[in-house]
Formats: sequence, structure tokens, C-alpha cells
Amino acid sequence: MPGQFMLGKLDDVARWAQSSSVWPLTMGLACCAIEMMSVTNSTYDIARFGSEVFRASPRQADLMIVSGRVAQKMAPIIKRLYDQMADPKWVISMGACASSGGVFDNYAIVQGVDTVVPVDVYVPGCPPTPDGLLYALNLIQQQIRQGGRGGIFAKA
Amino acid sequence: MPSSQTPSIAGTALDPTSLRPDISDAEIVRIAPAELRDKLIALRGDGFTMLLDIGGVDYLGREPRFDVVYHLLALPTKVATLAEVGTPRRIRLLVGVPENAPTLPSIQDLWPNANWAEREIYDLFGLTFEGHPDLRRIQMPYDWEGHPLRKDYPLRGPAREATPRPAFALKSNVPAGTPPSGKVAAALQKQIARARGQAPVPARGEDS
Repeated sequence: MPGQFMLGKLDDVARWAQSSSVWPLTMGLACCAIEMMSVTNSTYDIARFGSEVFRASPRQADLMIVSGRVAQKMAPIIKRLYDQMADPKWVISMGACASSGGVFDNYAIVQGVDTVVPVDVYVPGCPPTPDGLLYALNLIQQQIRQGGRGGIFAKA
Repeated sequence: MPSSQTPSIAGTALDPTSLRPDISDAEIVRIAPAELRDKLIALRGDGFTMLLDIGGVDYLGREPRFDVVYHLLALPTKVATLAEVGTPRRIRLLVGVPENAPTLPSIQDLWPNANWAEREIYDLFGLTFEGHPDLRRIQMPYDWEGHPLRKDYPLRGPAREATPRPAFALKSNVPAGTPPSGKVAAALQKQIARARGQAPVPARGEDS
């Protein structure tokens, strides 16, 4: 369309771009990870929301999906991965185990990943449906478009 | 000839015990800790070349308190029939370990795969293996205290065991012997009755 133009706030455009490219970290902890993988398949197609690029390096990831129960031995590793992610960053706690320990009220499992890293969206279910995870992603996108800033800026 | 580990066809999924594999396919021998290595060396020479697994058991209140179980398998070394391949010779060695001297000789030099299995038993039961080159924890964090698979280890860990559990998690809220209730339980009961032939199967399209 030559000769035509659109007016908009740079902030809005930047947020639209940012919210459309939330790249998750390649990290699967347990059976929820299977549902997380099916989200990338054509049936659910997370690529519609621009999040199909699961990054193998936390340096390039914006979103950590804690997909499964967090063992006591895994907790420091998750904390370290979260610290390695560049700001702004978001965390989805996927499923009952990541959110609260789930049925594993025992010595080996951390009772909720929010005792380790700050969580933005909790997804209920055991495991949650892929649609549930997509909805959580949509909530994160909504947060971004409304000016939310993840990670250390979240409280600022 | 099917393996004796194959579940019986006669049983159904409603009877979980029918799915339990037969344990009589292996010879079960109980020996003293002192003769463990000699016995294992002899068995290995006798054709039991494969160490499948080492397991630990805690019989709290029994003397000796612990059992360590060695699972051995003899694979046919020469031309064998299908039946011989399907039913290899197996043996299980049970070794009692007392609580006040929880140690056994390591067999890591006989079967290298015993290395991690012995580390696991050390980690979860606290039994030590003399002669093991690297007896560290393998599953729990290195700075963990206690051995979680011991029966006297609190389920939620020593730190949290003192804190009360949430009320909904207490089974004592439901009196013992209360039959399951609700739609799901009723549907399951109906399904079981049909599978046993005690209730008519609804015709197609009919509401169950």
C-alpha cells in the first residue's frame, strides 16, 4: 500500500512484537512435558502465538515452563536456569506438582516451584490439557500487552 | 513356549494379582555376608554371567534388619532352542545385613554395573560396600541427611514431618470402610458388574 501509513505509539508496537515472540526454554521435568510437547504439534500449534521456538539456551529464552514435579535435587538447577535467563522473563508453573507438589507430599519433591522462582501463571491440572497451557501463554501475552514486565521488573 | 513372566491370559485387568509375574522361575538362595563373594564368583563361573540388579529391602524390627538381593541371569552360551532362550536360568541371592554392622563386600570388580547399584543402596538404605571405589550418593543431593528408603525415615522428611498436614489430606476425615461414592465410583461399579456378567450390557445407543 504505497503512500499509506499507520500511527501508533512505539510502546504499543514494541509490546505487540514482544508478546508475539515469547520464546520458551527447552526444559521438561516430568509427564507434563509430554503435554508441553504436544502443544508444539499441528493440532494445538503454539506457533500461532509465536512461541514455537523452544530455545536450548536460557540466554535466549523469555519463558520458563516448569512442566512437572520439581525434585529437591532439581531445585537449585531450576534456580540457576532462571537466573541465567535474560530479563524480561516469565515463568509458567504447569500442573499440580509444579504449583503445589501435587500428590507428592514427600521428602523428595519441592512443594511448589514458587518457593524457588517467582511464578507468573499457574496452570491447574494433572496434567493440564494443551489448551490449558496455551491459555496460560495467552495470559502472559496479555500481561505483556498491558505493560507488564516479567522477572526483576515485575514489582517495579 | 511363552516366558513364565508373561501374564496369564485367564485373568482380567480387574484382578491385579493375575498380572503379577511368577517368582518361581528363579532359584532363591539365602547366604551369609561372609560367603557372598565366594558364592558370586562360583556362580559366575557356573554360567551366571549377567548381574541384572541389586536391590535393598528394609524389614524394620527383624534381625538382621536389611536384605540385599542379587539378581543373576545365565544366558545360553551355545546354540539353544527357543524354549531355552525364553526361560533362562535365574537365581536370587538374599543376604541379610544387621543394622549395627551395615556393610557388605563390594562386587564392583566382578560386575562393573554393580557400581551404581551399590551407590543407590548406600544412598537410600545407608548400607556401605567395602572396596567400592566411589561410594557417593547417586539419587539424593550430595548434602542430604538420612537414607529415605529406610522404614523409619519420615515420609515428608525430618524437617517437615513436625508441621501439620492440611486437613483435606488426612485420610482420617473419612471413616474406614466407607464405600466410594459419586458418579465416577457408581459408573466404575457398574462397569465391574458388567465385566463379571452380573449386570446386563446396555444395547447400543441405550443410555448407560
